[in-house]
Amino acid sequence: MELLKKYPNLFQWLFLFIVFFFLCFAIDVPETYKFIRAQAEFVKDPNQVSFTVLGAEVRYYPFDNFWRLPPLLGWLPIWVNDSIVFLLEEWMPIEVWNEDLQEFKKQPLILILTRSISAFMTFVIELIREIPLGGVETIVAFTSWEWLDANPWAKLPGLPWTVVTAGTAILGYKLGGKGLGIFAGVTMIYVSIFGQWEPSMQTLSFILVATPLSFIFGLILGIMAFKSKTVEKFLNPIIMVMQTMPQYSVLVPALVLFGNGDHAAVIITMIVAIPPMILLTLLGLRSVPLEVIEAGKMSGCNNFQLMFKVLIPTARRDILIGVNQVIMVCFSMAVIAAYIGAKGLGWNLLLALNQLNIGVALEAGLCISLIAILLDKMSLAWANKQIDYFGKLTFFERYKNTLFFAASVIIGVIIAYIGSFYLINGFNYLFEIPHNKGISTAGFWNKGVDWIFDTFFYSLKLFNTWLITEVLQPMRALFLRMPAVATLVLIIGSGYIIGGIRSALIVGGLSLFIALSPWWDRALVTTYMTVFGVIVSCVIGLIVGTLCFQNKHTMRFMLNVCDIFQTFPSFVYLIPVMMLFGITDTSVLIAVIVYATIPAVRYTIEGLRSVPTVLHDVASMSGVTKIQRLLKIEFPLAFPHMMLGLNQTIVFALFMVIIGAFIGTEDLGQYILKALSDKKGAGIGLLLGVCVAFIGLIFDNLIRTWVDKRKKHLGIV
Amino acid sequence: MEKWPVARIVEIMLQDKYSSKLKELPEPARQLVGLVVVTIVVILSFAIFNIFFGHDKDLTAKMKREEEKIAEKRKLSDLLSNLPTGILVTYDGTNGFKLSDELYEKVCNATKLITQRTIMGANLINLKAYQIYTGNGNQVKETFVKWDNENKKCVAGYVLKGTIEGKEETITVSGDALSFFSTGIDTRVYFIKNF
Repeated sequence: MELLKKYPNLFQWLFLFIVFFFLCFAIDVPETYKFIRAQAEFVKDPNQVSFTVLGAEVRYYPFDNFWRLPPLLGWLPIWVNDSIVFLLEEWMPIEVWNEDLQEFKKQPLILILTRSISAFMTFVIELIREIPLGGVETIVAFTSWEWLDANPWAKLPGLPWTVVTAGTAILGYKLGGKGLGIFAGVTMIYVSIFGQWEPSMQTLSFILVATPLSFIFGLILGIMAFKSKTVEKFLNPIIMVMQTMPQYSVLVPALVLFGNGDHAAVIITMIVAIPPMILLTLLGLRSVPLEVIEAGKMSGCNNFQLMFKVLIPTARRDILIGVNQVIMVCFSMAVIAAYIGAKGLGWNLLLALNQLNIGVALEAGLCISLIAILLDKMSLAWANKQIDYFGKLTFFERYKNTLFFAASVIIGVIIAYIGSFYLINGFNYLFEIPHNKGISTAGFWNKGVDWIFDTFFYSLKLFNTWLITEVLQPMRALFLRMPAVATLVLIIGSGYIIGGIRSALIVGGLSLFIALSPWWDRALVTTYMTVFGVIVSCVIGLIVGTLCFQNKHTMRFMLNVCDIFQTFPSFVYLIPVMMLFGITDTSVLIAVIVYATIPAVRYTIEGLRSVPTVLHDVASMSGVTKIQRLLKIEFPLAFPHMMLGLNQTIVFALFMVIIGAFIGTEDLGQYILKALSDKKGAGIGLLLGVCVAFIGLIFDNLIRTWVDKRKKHLGIV
Repeated sequence: MEKWPVARIVEIMLQDKYSSKLKELPEPARQLVGLVVVTIVVILSFAIFNIFFGHDKDLTAKMKREEEKIAEKRKLSDLLSNLPTGILVTYDGTNGFKLSDELYEKVCNATKLITQRTIMGANLINLKAYQIYTGNGNQVKETFVKWDNENKKCVAGYVLKGTIEGKEETITVSGDALSFFSTGIDTRVYFIKNF
């Protein structure tokens, strides 16, 4: 009993693992069981049994339930899909005047709504796109093609790239000073002279529509959640699932509801970008000091005034950080949304990756990354900028940036006009450098890839084969060999040990959902890839983070590197790994490791930083060595913070594993990718996304609960 | 009547003296007991699941049989793809490929189709069949090809349904399948001797 009192958790974990391994060894793999294809939802076989729920037939092989549970939720994706189709094609038909046929026609309400939203979005995107690029779509929207034929002069001229570049540099200077101004200018010049102007402007127009709309909806919902506990309780689970759900899976229902194109991409981007905005609005409003609220009330503010004149201005920084997050999410979606027809850099990147043209992919990827860094820095500078309400400035000081921009417009237009007299190959390079007419380094990079393959082919192949046969396949086999009952006992037991019965019920419910879906085997493969990536990332993160923490300069440098790497859209990570390892599982896992190492390093440094400096001094005075201080004081105290990093690492790794389906894996991501090209894939895509989100939430719940308990135990709450 | 043991155990556990004893246990021990209970509940839930959605004990045997069938089909398909394309015969004296007795049986088992030429040829000596076939627009209701193990020969035939002089008639024409046509992908009956 004394031992039990001394090491209470040790005994519980010991018991849990004994039961787990006993179950693993006691339950054999059924002789005819085929991994991954076991549920065989696409196979019709007389040996399968079937049941029907809400008109959806589910077939499965009745194996021992201790080994694998039957897919009792197999009807759910079919039902979700049928419901979406029903809503879109049959629900609430109303009479609508058809201009072409000159008669009333019956159309379902949802179809009318989605088509109207799509038309509005398309119009706004085209309008914004035609400001820098020029075009006729906006004018046609107000007139007609016939009118345009009669008036060929009527078209938006677009802005020369020099003007947009100057405008961006001036904005950068205004928000963040000289450094940001120069960086903005250099980025835009790079984008232009490398012939990426048009796709970049297409991507920017897409972001310029999605960001303000996400901001408005996020802000409204955040305010509502702040005002009402019921709304907050309702939104909380949705936000949690949305934040751990791979963006891929949301594409499928959007494709069904809104079709293919930029408008659908904007809508889906909004759905993904709104949750972080809600959270940061809520965080900002909650952090407003009570004194400020009291002062507002005492000044006689009504509720509306209190919100918009006191609370929101005070929470301005957090809300603007929310805008930064929204921009970053929009940018990462700009690439993923290329799958459903969003034009721009993402589309070019996807096309180049599909053709295995690494050089072109690298150019597009570099452009995306540069613009992402620029937007990140600009929005952060905006958030951190202090407004000078009392400065007495002269007219020039107040409006100098506007004046500079006006001058740049005039000069840019004149230069572009002069350029129109000196066309090179029929193109006015001073107005716009056409796509693929600028400088290209694609050939150089492609030769580099060839050189890598020629020089390191055997060593890379050797490493690849070793990793796959000696590490990955045995690990995959181990995960797939776990009987359902053993896995659930392990998960629920861990929940119980860490967070009591409540935690056990939550993680149990989430894992049961996956176990009862038709994709348990694939979920195990996803988990194995994630776990492998997370283990390696954490080891690297811990070592690099700890080493960098020893010196102020290296620490700052590493945090900056993490900042920059975090702004890269996840797709970009696939480019270098494909260069080195080709189309293999190794590529996916290396991309997962690189991507997931960022939060691991960041949180190791942040964790070590969070240890009070007083303790360092106390330790030094007690005569401990540097290593002792690190192992006995800093690590134990920083560990809860570092575990939050582990949480982020898991989410990052999960996202990357799912994106890795693009290269070719056999996990849940591969099915999500398949659902994208399936006419009846909306339900499957959505439910697969929910399964991935649930895997993330299981880890999230366990880690967060442990961190909270540990912090309380250490007295650092 | 004696109570069911589980109910009896629960009753005992619920008695005050035991529950108070459980409460008296130190926190770590209580947690361990809780974990044991949770584990048992999970395993029991699976056992209950097995009752309602119990696994088919013959599934392995059935699936093995199915796999054997598939393997057999694959073997036959391999065999067929190795046969020369064109006419395969079971007798001497033509230009076709002569099938050995063993191959004859295998080809017979692998064959599912009967060519229209074969049907028309067999109909030549069966007036009723000829009338039904031409009358119903060359419709064949059913075909069959099977190996007669007793006589060591392949029997092929077809069922025709149609009207003759306003009367609904059904006729089965069958005979020995003496030659086959190999397409390289499958084999079809090429000649039925029904006289």
